Amino acid sequence: MAGKWMGSLSEAMRGLSLAAQTCRTVPVRTAPLISRRSMATESPISKPLSNITRSVTEEWQPITSVPVTIHSFPSLEPRALESYSAKHLYLPLRRDILHLAVVFEGDNTRQGTAQAKTRWEVAGSHRKVRPQKGSGNARVGSKQSPIRRGGGKSHGPRNRDFGTKLNRKVYDLAWRTALSYRYRRGELIVTEDGLDLPLPEDFLQQAQDGLLTRELEDAFIQKYVGEMLGAMQWGKADGRTTFITGEERTNLFTSLDVAGEEGTALELEDVDVKDLLETGRIVIERSALKEMIKQHRSDLVTSIAMPNKVMKEKTLASPLYPFPHEVSEA
Amino acid sequence: MPPRLPFAQAAQCCRRALEVPPKQPSLVSLFAALSVQTRSASILANLSDNKDAYHKRIRRGRGASSGYGKTAGRGMKGTKARNKVNPWFQGGQTPLIFKHGQKGFVNHRAPVMAELNLDRLQTWIDTGRLDPTKTITPRELVKAGLVGIKDGIKLLARGKNEIKTPIDIVVSRASAAAILAVEAAGGKITTRYYTKAAIKNLVSGKSVHTDKPLPIGPEHVESVLQQARTSRKHFYRLPDPTSRWDIEYYRDPAHRGYLSHTLKTGESPSLYFKVPGEKPLVGKKSKKAADASEERLF
Repeated sequence: MAGKWMGSLSEAMRGLSLAAQTCRTVPVRTAPLISRRSMATESPISKPLSNITRSVTEEWQPITSVPVTIHSFPSLEPRALESYSAKHLYLPLRRDILHLAVVFEGDNTRQGTAQAKTRWEVAGSHRKVRPQKGSGNARVGSKQSPIRRGGGKSHGPRNRDFGTKLNRKVYDLAWRTALSYRYRRGELIVTEDGLDLPLPEDFLQQAQDGLLTRELEDAFIQKYVGEMLGAMQWGKADGRTTFITGEERTNLFTSLDVAGEEGTALELEDVDVKDLLETGRIVIERSALKEMIKQHRSDLVTSIAMPNKVMKEKTLASPLYPFPHEVSEA
Repeated sequence: MPPRLPFAQAAQCCRRALEVPPKQPSLVSLFAALSVQTRSASILANLSDNKDAYHKRIRRGRGASSGYGKTAGRGMKGTKARNKVNPWFQGGQTPLIFKHGQKGFVNHRAPVMAELNLDRLQTWIDTGRLDPTKTITPRELVKAGLVGIKDGIKLLARGKNEIKTPIDIVVSRASAAAILAVEAAGGKITTRYYTKAAIKNLVSGKSVHTDKPLPIGPEHVESVLQQARTSRKHFYRLPDPTSRWDIEYYRDPAHRGYLSHTLKTGESPSLYFKVPGEKPLVGKKSKKAADASEERLF
């Protein structure tokens, strides 16, 4: 029974693997992928994979930079290719560092305004309710005693600051770890600048002229955004999408305000590490991504002054395509 | 890894994609076929710090199973179970602090020197944060972040084998080993009198550094006044020592003091104790001569 399940599982994984590869990386041969765990002492498979180009004797060199495709929106046509350092977008997954950052953000978001009245804050006189002896009942002091109904709370919540601190370099590392996590999973989509939702002209005109009621506008936006993101497999059924832009884009922001179950839109300054990890994918503008990494690389760039050295501006996204020499010629 | 774009969009750019089956199965649908329930789980649900970051919280007096119930780690009866005992209490016997009393006093007027060791200095030079080609004065040391602003800077010799660069350094004081190490590396060290205010003025640029003492004598008045009138920038001059201890310190060539050039040959840096043999002692020479000339029994 377990074997049958494993067989179906391997079929499912095979189907996934084939579907995951883009046309460039689809191998020429049709050998089946090995889906079961293999031991190190096993002999290798007879046919070597065609996309291994280095020899075994060559020393392993770690990856230093990774490519990022810039798409147009909403057609998602690849327009350019940029190269980012591996220290920005290809960091190893460190769950503990992500945890520290998410908890730090949560702590500092807390309002901390819960407060319960103690016996000294509950209104009323502090007079002794009845004499110590003689009444035949239990001895009582004041009406606000925590034992009594209507009395104060002994150790209730108090208005306090729950904020914590986290080293800036650790926080910046967590930020780039979150981006690297998304990049590795293919959930970081970078678009050209000016990312905005293209609403139909006639709808916009009618809305401006005041021909539509609020309900109609909202219903249309809901349906439009739902169908658009649904077709791209970016909507509710696929875990929602977060759009990050440099400044507020009216159409995009108001539409996602209405159709909140399909996705969310954030300005760069409002983004947290938690936002980067929440939804199904991140769609971010090229300049916003560059700015984001610039703001969160304090552990890579030193702020120490050197008397005789001129500080060079470290390049972030070096262009791979369109090729730089072609751009200069054109 | 490039983003996993849905097939409908990718087909516009590449024909090879058409060889792949049209309907792209998602993880959810595949597992649904196996009737295994899944939800799209976020990584936020699987974040935690490392195991050793979490420690057992001890809540005393909350039941036997916790290990800290009933007496809550205080043992049986006694004052310590019910109250607190002062650390100096000796059961009633006169405590040591009252028997012996306190020793000495704290000199609040003593100058507090910022300590600088040679290993740190060499590290700063190696990383380019300190320029060894220029004279290293307290201004350079403070601005590079090597020391803070206190009553002075003392150069000490931790890492004396690490200092390799020849440097020209001026500090408040220096240990003998530090002087040896700097000069062994081919450098030059001078000690000069500073106060906290003087160092602050140097750092802010209100004073210009010099390793020469202030000129003494009426002949220098006019030139100094002329300089003060013309230079708008450096208005405050650096002070010289006035106390006996400081003067003697900076007159000592062993400390590489900046006043040591005022000593004559064989003169002691002390202002009180003289080197014997310098001058003939008053009266004793004539008495000895008189004794030698007279023939006396005793």
